[in-house]
Amino acid sequence: MISVENVSKDYGARRALHEISFEVLKGEVLGLLGPNGAGKTTLLRILTGFFPPTFGRVTLEGIDLAKEPKKLKRRIGYLPERIAVYPDFRVEEFLKFAAEIKGVPSKERESEIEEKMELCGVTSVRKRLVGQLSKGFLQRVGLAHSLLANPDVLILDEPTNGLDPKQIIEIRELIRKLGRERTLILSTHILPEVSKVCERVLILNQGRIIAQGRPEDLERGLVERQEILLRVGQGGDSLEKVLGAIPGVRSVEKHAQEASVTSYVLQTLPHEDLRAEISKQVVKSGFPLLELTTKRLSLEDVFLKLVLSEEAVESR
Amino acid sequence: MKGAWAILKKDFFSFCRSWVGVFVLFSYLLVGGIFFTLFLLGYSQLSLQAAGQSYEGVEGLSLTTFVMGAFILNSGILFLFLAPLLSMRSLAEEKRVGTLELLYTYPLSDFEIVLGKYLALMAELALLFLPTLLYGVLIRLLGPRVDGGVLFSGVLGFFLLGGTFLAIGLFYSSTTENQILAAILTFLTLLALWIFEWVAGLLPGVWAGRFQGLSPFVHFRDFPLGIVDLTDVAFFISAILFFFFLALRTVEVRNWKG
Repeated sequence: MISVENVSKDYGARRALHEISFEVLKGEVLGLLGPNGAGKTTLLRILTGFFPPTFGRVTLEGIDLAKEPKKLKRRIGYLPERIAVYPDFRVEEFLKFAAEIKGVPSKERESEIEEKMELCGVTSVRKRLVGQLSKGFLQRVGLAHSLLANPDVLILDEPTNGLDPKQIIEIRELIRKLGRERTLILSTHILPEVSKVCERVLILNQGRIIAQGRPEDLERGLVERQEILLRVGQGGDSLEKVLGAIPGVRSVEKHAQEASVTSYVLQTLPHEDLRAEISKQVVKSGFPLLELTTKRLSLEDVFLKLVLSEEAVESR
Repeated sequence: MKGAWAILKKDFFSFCRSWVGVFVLFSYLLVGGIFFTLFLLGYSQLSLQAAGQSYEGVEGLSLTTFVMGAFILNSGILFLFLAPLLSMRSLAEEKRVGTLELLYTYPLSDFEIVLGKYLALMAELALLFLPTLLYGVLIRLLGPRVDGGVLFSGVLGFFLLGGTFLAIGLFYSSTTENQILAAILTFLTLLALWIFEWVAGLLPGVWAGRFQGLSPFVHFRDFPLGIVDLTDVAFFISAILFFFFLALRTVEVRNWKG
């Protein structure tokens, strides 16, 4: 339905996106995952027509965004990362303005607003000033706003950012509901969010797509590549057998010796942290344990950041 | 064009209930009212003297030209101080709050955004000027016939002058997120244009003409007297178009930056 071809974006001399290409199918829920600064917002802004890409092309069912921006924008609903509102407007006034500007005919405007307010649960705050809403309600108003004029495609930039855990669960529930009838693209830097909501994930890092697929597959594929680096002191050059016998270790590779230090790289099974067991075995064999680290590939680096930020959110 | 209409309504609506709106309206009515009263008193004094001593030529002086003309002429100068307050928020505030991002993602062209913004400012100017027409009615009640043509010419001149001020203000508002800065830059520009009018008098020869040609006030002078010169109209319309398109280009810059 949406096709993105070789899209690059430069901010002055800095390239924020490097030749991104992907397709979004009709009715799909696609997650854009990546640490802060990976280029998610830039990509979404290009998709919504906020600014054009420096190179490349975006089309929706064959309509070129660069050639017919109005036609395409009419079919897209967008919730920016920090929804900006006119603080002196009441909720329903703001929605009325947006409905008019999005081209909802004046006769249907009233019922359209009622319907979307009901759907997003903001009917109770309709008379409140937008500038005085809590973050959770503001996000709901933003969602209602993005749904006006029934767009085929919904683009949500970090929809749960800055919400408390209860609000996060509610908004996710709402997003899941919306995703049933629409094509939905959402960005997040929180790993578990995509597995809860999305059918397919693109992982962005430093402006490039570094992986894509179903969330389950991605997670499995990643952990299979886990490696552990181990350094042992004086006399520790005969540990291969001991290490290989630890349950969960798939292979042991001995690396170059420097003076009295021996390095090993261990491939381990998914979902298991074997560091405790390894250190125990090494010490039991009577050799000094100098270093024990999980060695990660770039993709895993990204994931580490993502997992950490989720923990930060939960502990807050 | 529906989008421009929606923006016009939204801006006009939020102007009407902002403190800036109330302040501008209040000060315009207050100062304008003082002007009007003074000119009216001045006219009655003059006509009393004329009746006593039969000055030559005074009998041709119409009430519309004398009172309304002077009033509109001075309204123009008063508006020099108020225009920056009207236009400062226009685009700058949307930028600062971030609502411009929303406007960019609506099915709207940049032209519609800027047009809606500009027309909203013109509507605010009209709201400001509307009560003034009551003064015309007041003169009519005092007795003499109101010269409709002269009044129309004055109002036309006022809107052309005000439209130019607001286009300049809209342009500055498009360049910054800081509305105070936008207001100051607009005010300084208008002040400079005003000063051109009397600087021109001090300069020799061709330079006088050149400087005068740049001052909107020089082009405005004849309108309240009932003289519509097409050169003046053309000056104002090209000035409005010039600053309107500068503002439009500034909004469009994001499309080709980087």
